[in-house]
Amino acid sequence: MQAVLAQELSKEFSGVRALDSLTLSLPEGSVFGFLGPNGAGKTTTVKLLTGLLAPTGGRCAVLGLDPREQAERVHALCGVMTESARLYPQLSGLENLEFFGELCGMTRAAARARGGELLRRLGLGEAGKRAAGEYSTGMAQRLSLARALLARPRVLFLDEPTSGLDPESAQAVNALIGEQAGQEGVTVFLCTHQLRYAEDLCGCYGILDHGALLAQGDLAGLAKAAGRGSFAAFRLAQGETLPGCEGAGGWWRRPLACPEEMPALVRGAVAAGCSVYEARIETPTLEDVYFSFIGREEGGALL
Amino acid sequence: MKRMLLTLPERAIVRKDLRGVWHTKMVRVTVILVPLLLCFALPAFYLAIAWLAPEDQLATGDFVPFLPNGGEGMTARQMMVTLISQVLGPMFFLMIPLMVSTASAACSFVGEREHSTMETLLLAPVPLRRIFRAKVAACVLLALAAELVSLLAFSLVMAAGSLLFSSPFYFNPAWAVLVFLLAPAVTLFGVTFMVLVSGRSRSSMEAMQTSGYLVLPVILLFAGQFSGLFTLGPLLLLLVFAAVAAADAVLLSAASRAFTPEKLLKG
Repeated sequence: MQAVLAQELSKEFSGVRALDSLTLSLPEGSVFGFLGPNGAGKTTTVKLLTGLLAPTGGRCAVLGLDPREQAERVHALCGVMTESARLYPQLSGLENLEFFGELCGMTRAAARARGGELLRRLGLGEAGKRAAGEYSTGMAQRLSLARALLARPRVLFLDEPTSGLDPESAQAVNALIGEQAGQEGVTVFLCTHQLRYAEDLCGCYGILDHGALLAQGDLAGLAKAAGRGSFAAFRLAQGETLPGCEGAGGWWRRPLACPEEMPALVRGAVAAGCSVYEARIETPTLEDVYFSFIGREEGGALL
Repeated sequence: MKRMLLTLPERAIVRKDLRGVWHTKMVRVTVILVPLLLCFALPAFYLAIAWLAPEDQLATGDFVPFLPNGGEGMTARQMMVTLISQVLGPMFFLMIPLMVSTASAACSFVGEREHSTMETLLLAPVPLRRIFRAKVAACVLLALAAELVSLLAFSLVMAAGSLLFSSPFYFNPAWAVLVFLLAPAVTLFGVTFMVLVSGRSRSSMEAMQTSGYLVLPVILLFAGQFSGLFTLGPLLLLLVFAAVAAADAVLLSAASRAFTPEKLLKG
């Protein structure tokens, strides 16, 4: 069964198209990075997939359920964390989790136990007794993540979970998300600006801009679509050159069609009398690929 | 299996809302001070005047037309007690469920928008109609509790009046209609009205100010008696109840329809 399915999904706000015919299909257990600049339509997509918004066109489903028609069943299976969904300021962190646990059908004792465990994992064990209104941005974000994870969701929608967090908080949040992503059958739909982190965590990506999905696939597939190939790179002794390679910053590079080419290239460099200090395959990073698509979309030169 | 009026998630929402409402100073002041002032302090003040002032100085002649049987056979002090219990008291009493229900609904519905918690609530695996029902129930419960406390306080003052001036106890069929029918109907009216205007209010304070318009018809209804056109007896109060109940049905249906994620999260 597909964990997340969108077919020609569109949303307009007062005539402005926020999402334009998004088609997406994620199998259960996927860890999907949904990337795009601010205003690209990522949050709108999450809200459509969780039934908070009605589409103006197309359809979507989460674990085979319509988020509008079967909203409560979708919410029972999903954990959702968005920047705009806050917690009750007058309740303590733990009381907030107890309350939402009860809404998820847990007994108060079970919700308290699960909430306490999540708070400890997110470094909020002590702060759990304080009113959520007194929390810093980072603490509030961590509490929101704890709420999303409360009922052990099968699909986790995370919209900028580390936005505005200090490095320590971001690390705690990322570790817990990574743990969820590693669990069998748990699907993670991660909207983020943190491309390096997304690259570590996600197995496939979608790049969205101005409401349109520019590309979708794994990193290799996206790199190919973006025309970003791999390079063989050599660091040689100073003053040495390697024929067929371009030099920059002490390194000599040439395009690499496939990784199997590399051993022969290393042998060739050694046979040519070069002193090879280092040799490596440089594959395009998610950041390279992302900016290739976004740069192309903005009409800029392909990076 | 035992069938509960509210499901467990609904009860959790009611508890959370009651706590949130109580946490808001403005509502807390309304819930405590308004009943205390209108159903205890003011009637007790009038009663004290009736007790302390010389009987010949009580200007009872002016309100004789508004008393049952023109106040025939009553002393000036008894007239004063009757005026408080049958003319002013009902007006004060009806304001309580109205003010408490609108204040708590403003806090419960607009407050969720104000604190950006509505989205979180809507993401819970609870049907929308149950969330709506639980939130309305919390506001109604608080208003009914205030109504009950007010009734007890007012009864206490009036019992003192009966004892002091040997006048009959105030509770009569008109009061029964007021307490058991009209006040609950007015409570629901206040809540549903507030749900409907909540979309237009940016803060719970602004919403509470809007609710001030609702008190006006209550004042006009009771003050209208002074024009001599009508007296609010049980039959007329039943008619008013029927009108308010009909308005409740319309408002409840409209408020329930307006309780959608798009409308609640707009702006």
